[in-house]
Amino acid sequence: MKVPWPLYLAWKQLFPSGKKVSFFSLLSIIGVALGVNVMIVVIAFMQGFQQKFRKDIINAQGHARVVPLKPYASWDKIPPRLRKIDNVVGVTPYLQAQLLLQSGNYHAIPFCMGLQPEDGDEVLPVDDFLKGGMLRLQAHDAEDVTPLPTMEMLEDDVVFLSSQTANRLGVRPSAVVQVYEANATLPESTEQSPVRVTRLDSYVESGEWELLFMPSEGSCVVRENVSGDEFVWEYEKGSLDLGFGYPVFEISQGADPFVAGDRFLFQVFKANKIEIFSPSMIDQAKADEMIPPREVRVGGIFEVPWQGFQMEALIGTMRFMADMRDQEGACDGFYLKFSGPVARNEVQLQKKCRELELVLEEDWAVVPWFVENAWFFELLKFEEYLMVLIMIPIGLVAAFAIAIALMTTVLRKIREIGLLIAMGGRRFSVGMVFCLQGFIIGGLGAVLGCGLALLFIRYREVIMTFIVERIAGSDGQAGVAQFYNFHSLEVPFPWESSESLSTFLSFALFAVLVSTVAGLLPALRATRLNPADSLRSE
Amino acid sequence: MEANGLSKSFRLGDGSIRVLADADIRLEEASSLSIQGSSGCGKTTLLNLLARLEKADAGTVSWDGRKMTASSSPSSRESVMRADFLGVVYQAYYLIPELNVLENILMAARLSSSVNRDSEDRARSLLSRMGVGDKAKQIPNKLSGGERQRVAIARALINKPRVLLADEPTGNLDERTGGQVMDLLMTACDEEKTGLILVTHNPIFAESADSRVFLKEGKLITDEEFEEIERKANDEEN
Ligand SMILES: Nc1ncnc2c1ncn2[C@@H]1O[C@H](COP(=O)(O)OP(=O)(O)OP(=O)(O)O)[C@@H](O)[C@H]1O
Ligand SMILES: [Mg+2]
Repeated sequence: MKVPWPLYLAWKQLFPSGKKVSFFSLLSIIGVALGVNVMIVVIAFMQGFQQKFRKDIINAQGHARVVPLKPYASWDKIPPRLRKIDNVVGVTPYLQAQLLLQSGNYHAIPFCMGLQPEDGDEVLPVDDFLKGGMLRLQAHDAEDVTPLPTMEMLEDDVVFLSSQTANRLGVRPSAVVQVYEANATLPESTEQSPVRVTRLDSYVESGEWELLFMPSEGSCVVRENVSGDEFVWEYEKGSLDLGFGYPVFEISQGADPFVAGDRFLFQVFKANKIEIFSPSMIDQAKADEMIPPREVRVGGIFEVPWQGFQMEALIGTMRFMADMRDQEGACDGFYLKFSGPVARNEVQLQKKCRELELVLEEDWAVVPWFVENAWFFELLKFEEYLMVLIMIPIGLVAAFAIAIALMTTVLRKIREIGLLIAMGGRRFSVGMVFCLQGFIIGGLGAVLGCGLALLFIRYREVIMTFIVERIAGSDGQAGVAQFYNFHSLEVPFPWESSESLSTFLSFALFAVLVSTVAGLLPALRATRLNPADSLRSE
Repeated sequence: MEANGLSKSFRLGDGSIRVLADADIRLEEASSLSIQGSSGCGKTTLLNLLARLEKADAGTVSWDGRKMTASSSPSSRESVMRADFLGVVYQAYYLIPELNVLENILMAARLSSSVNRDSEDRARSLLSRMGVGDKAKQIPNKLSGGERQRVAIARALINKPRVLLADEPTGNLDERTGGQVMDLLMTACDEEKTGLILVTHNPIFAESADSRVFLKEGKLITDEEFEEIERKANDEEN
């Protein structure tokens, strides 16, 4: 295939024979590449944050919320109706309340949310939130081995508190620590401990549990040292479940407690109780009725990753909330979760919400998550636009640099340009030589920049950890991570998401376009030259 | 190649200077013609007009029988034709520094769109005929002036042009080197059956051309006419 001569000459001027690269082209290409890289990385990260926030918000409040527009008679027929509709995968009723919490001298007025434990985490992944908030007991020579609480532990006299609320009140759920000194041969990590506590409900009493294994009889004597109660556990038959209010012990899979030792010691701490007052109690108090506060146990501590969710929060059962509001069978609305395209696409979601409103005969409003959090997304979008606005002038500065450099080349090569015309080159083609140089610089820079961006996205953890450590120090890193969590941040590669692909393509295209336009000016200059004059020029 | 009634003046400040006044020139097929004349008399301008690099005020230029108005800019077809019809050699060599010697020569072939597989062989044979066969991969900045001019001549001949315009090709070279280069140029043109219009200050080189003209006061005059004028001028002085 024959290369057109302007392209050949443009390439040769950037990459001359006998030299590897020319300094000018190297600098220009690196400049373009860095620009493209920065633009892509910034936008990709912004999109990553947006995706993360989106996921967090949907986790914290579902894809949409159904709220009543009129007083309604009974709500329990609605979830089955909604579930029948395509793409609806979860319907969770909820009831909110204003409650005052008290523990000793400490008070809190958190955002209170009642859910049905039997709904599980079909819509709200409460179990995941409970993982995030757990407060570990610090103990010398002992390790907190409390199993993570789950949604199943929620009942009418048990509540989950957000970690801020728990800290404010100074309360925690039941806990169990494994005491190392009881057996010197016990491995340092509880992961490998042969005996584990697999359930610790909110009703356990404080105490010291001692497990003595009898190798010959295949059984184990389990003693509670405070009360002096003693049980025999035939551990080969399964876990030791003494019922509600007792910890459940289990032999780890494949473990043999007699290899390591024969005595295990666990210290159990009971859950704190808190007292709860509700506005309905005030009314009753006005009517001179004496109402004792409601006493509940702390079943677990949670943390919702979505920062827009109330920091101070309480999750209880719906029945408990209804009780506190003195409104039996009340319901404030439903959280909905969808699947398929409705879950992925905002436009589809909006349509679906409208469809549901019609199904519910307009007695209820169905509000999608992005409407409820519109302010936040407007903010993110604005930030993204602002970034682009800042970066475009940077791109233009790079373009000017290229234009000036190429212009100097044109001036330096005036006589060669004259000769090219004398040898039969058309003026247009001579101009193309310079335009193509801009194009080649832009193209190579864009490719290199995309490559750098891919590397950056691939190794973002390493790079960001390094940078954050330098700026914020290793202590500050935790704080930065709370808001800008680069580890969990999902920044998709262009082959993984069309949004990422369009980011890569649009900035690559932008670079090529800008560099080519930058070459246009010198090209025009070159075509305007009079060949006879150029040949005469010194 | 032929030109008739070429006129050209340049604007200079308020007035203008007339460089060519109704000049005629004719080059027979595959012959050589030398042009002499005092500095600034318009020799380079004449060559530029013949090559259609500059617009004349009046007159016609014909290339290979194709008659063109010299006062118009060349059409793009004429530009393309120029690549095949003409070769040019200047006092300065104008080699492209980013290309090596061979690539510089082939560049001319690329421009004429006559580049093919044999072009490189032809370039190499021209280079060795010019006595710089071993410099093919060298870059121009590392060559001497004489070597550069040889490369420039090879470049001018690569497309087998019908006419070669040479504007003081030895102007930058010392006498000995200039002589060698001129010999090579003449021989090559002979062998290639290429017509040659040679502008030079050196009477010996001018002598070796098939015919010889002088440019004087905007017109081309023959040997005898020139000597006549010279004699008259001498007489008047005496
Ligand atoms: N672009 C131009 N504008 C104005 N004057 C010009 C221009 N080009 C040439 N001239 C003038 O035209 C005259 C002829 O120039 P030209 O270069 O043709 O001379 P020459 O015979 O080649 O001289 P030399 O032997 O020194 O090369 C000179 O007086 C020069 O000043
Ligand atoms: Mg001249």
